[in-house]
Amino acid sequence: MATERYSFSLTTFSPSGKLVQIEYALAAVAAGAPSVGIKASNGVVIATENKHKSILYDEHSVHKVEMITKHIGMVYSGMGPDYRLLVKQARKMAQQYFIVYKEPIPTIQLVQRVAAVMQEYTQSGGVRPFGVSLLICGWDNDRPYLFQCDPSGAYFAWKSTAMGKNFINGKTFLEKRYNEELELDDAVHTAILTLKESFEGQMSADNIEVGICDSNGFKRLDPSHVKDYLANIS
Amino acid sequence: MSSALCPEIPTPGFSFENCKRNATLAAKGFPTPKATKTGTTIVGIIYKDGVILGADTRATEDTTVSDKNCQKIHYLAPNMYCCGAGTAADTEMTTQMISSQLELHRLYTGRVVPVCTANQMLKQYLFRYQGHIGAALVLGGVDSSGPHLFSIYPHGSTDKLPYTTMGSGSLAAMAVFESRWVPNMDEEAGKKLVRDAIAAGIFNDLGSGSNVDLCVIRKDKVDYLRTYDEANKKGIRQASYKYPKGTTAIFPNKTQEYKIEVTEETVTPYTMDTSS
Amino acid sequence: MSILSYNGGAMVAMKGDQCVAIATDKRFGIQAQTISLDFKKVFDMGPHLFVGLPGLATDTQTVMEKLRFRKNLYELKENRKMSPKVFSSMVSNMLYEKRFGPFFVEPIIAGLEPKTFEPYVCNMDLIGCPNEPEDFVVGGTASAQLYGMCEALWVPKLKPDELFETISQALINAFDRDAISGWGATVYIIEKDKVTVRELKTRMD
Repeated sequence: MATERYSFSLTTFSPSGKLVQIEYALAAVAAGAPSVGIKASNGVVIATENKHKSILYDEHSVHKVEMITKHIGMVYSGMGPDYRLLVKQARKMAQQYFIVYKEPIPTIQLVQRVAAVMQEYTQSGGVRPFGVSLLICGWDNDRPYLFQCDPSGAYFAWKSTAMGKNFINGKTFLEKRYNEELELDDAVHTAILTLKESFEGQMSADNIEVGICDSNGFKRLDPSHVKDYLANIS
Repeated sequence: MSSALCPEIPTPGFSFENCKRNATLAAKGFPTPKATKTGTTIVGIIYKDGVILGADTRATEDTTVSDKNCQKIHYLAPNMYCCGAGTAADTEMTTQMISSQLELHRLYTGRVVPVCTANQMLKQYLFRYQGHIGAALVLGGVDSSGPHLFSIYPHGSTDKLPYTTMGSGSLAAMAVFESRWVPNMDEEAGKKLVRDAIAAGIFNDLGSGSNVDLCVIRKDKVDYLRTYDEANKKGIRQASYKYPKGTTAIFPNKTQEYKIEVTEETVTPYTMDTSS
Repeated sequence: MSILSYNGGAMVAMKGDQCVAIATDKRFGIQAQTISLDFKKVFDMGPHLFVGLPGLATDTQTVMEKLRFRKNLYELKENRKMSPKVFSSMVSNMLYEKRFGPFFVEPIIAGLEPKTFEPYVCNMDLIGCPNEPEDFVVGGTASAQLYGMCEALWVPKLKPDELFETISQALINAFDRDAISGWGATVYIIEKDKVTVRELKTRMD
């Protein structure tokens, strides 16, 4: 405790009332790899770019789309190491909830708890805010959910959204493409197309990741599956 | 750095705030009451294609049967189950907690968790509590290296065996195994052997009773056979003991009735403001 | 002597057809000395959810307050009612947290599941080992007698009024053979659209 007294929070209000550290964190997100999420009538899809700088890189061994519990999945734009900490926390919180209530955690509850962790890092001493925005997708109450969690701890419920590099273009694209009756299969297509809008180079099953969530739970699509979707759109 | 800003995350671990009071009461002649025990016969064998676990279904509080059909084969992971004997709450909560840790481990490593990992986690947990957590377990499962069967004692020691029994009926059940178990049994013979071992416990040990539960774990499929055999069928009641309406004397003016409004609302989605 | 029989008390809960009942005596005593005839041991935790806490009276009240606190917090946080199953798993967790210094209560939970209105009963030992049978649960100092009465009287698919007679007679006849419980009884019949609370005329000795 004694040391905490001298470790000031980095996020201090500027005279104009802004928390610039949080804005810098958002800038880190906006510079990160793009990711999209779309809610369909019978499920929800999240997808992201997973580009590698070198051909020597061993793809499919480190993932960006992660499962939290059977019915919740997550993806991010921003800094990978920060994301892994949040994934670990989220999984732990989901298990904790299950142990106490013997009921899987509702997606909104998980989002609230993850957001609380992110908020805490904007107000604590000796830490910096997370350099990630999360897309959390889930299925409970017989319906899909899609949330975005920002470094500030703010969270939003979306029908469809894009984050990271070129997110404004991505969102405009989605606004044109989105409709309420979308089926999950079509949503996967739309998600891939949205990524393709700003994709530099050739898109393949090795440099994007897709996760889907429906009444059967969450799963990350394997590359062969993604390949089928890619074949269909070109 | 968790608690101050995030108070909803409860402090982990046991709470000892009542211990001093309870010790005082014990000193005054009111010892802490006994918790539910499972008496229990639990067994496991390795057969040709995997593992078969078996358990009876009686729970006792002292000499009273408090649950006639309880579940003693607990889920740990998709490829692992665990029978529990001893203090009922301890076996229940210990397996639940380890199951949760195994799930986290599975998500973290992205592979089927080996059975020896579960064994190690259970024994380290039980050893830490020096036998005060009264859980005696039979752990069985199949992983990439084949079927495995462990017995775990409350103090944290473990055995790796091809066939094992635990609980108060373990002697009766082991007698069956010692005379009839052979390596590479087929599934039907294995199930029959486990059933007979549990039945030996049910009929010869008073702490065990009611039905036989089985769990067959193979490489790709698990069969949880709840009430595989009903060793003691209850007779059909011959007469009706129903009391006629109005038998019980009440204070009519003290009767209260609370109406509950059951609202079945359907939520219609509305257009969301997505401008921000 | 066991601390669980310091104050006395008997309690039972039964499943019926689309209904569930919980009944309790009303005595509060200090060993053989009766102090009160109107002691509350069953508490409503929602329109379709009741919890009874037989055991040491001080813990009855402490545990009830702790449970109500946790349940209210859950309902505020999640903006929905707590189902009986979720409630009992929360009780079980709270009691097991005090595994090495328990509260001296053996809770009984009765309620209807939301949406389906399936009846639900559950009891626990003092360190939270749950038991969810198909028929009935008992607790308190007359539990042995109650087991006998319920095994004889209970049949499946009892209608609310039949359930009332069955549970009342089971309780009365059980606690008449127990010196430290009785002195009046309360029966709660929980149905989809109403809860009926009746006070029974019993022996007062």
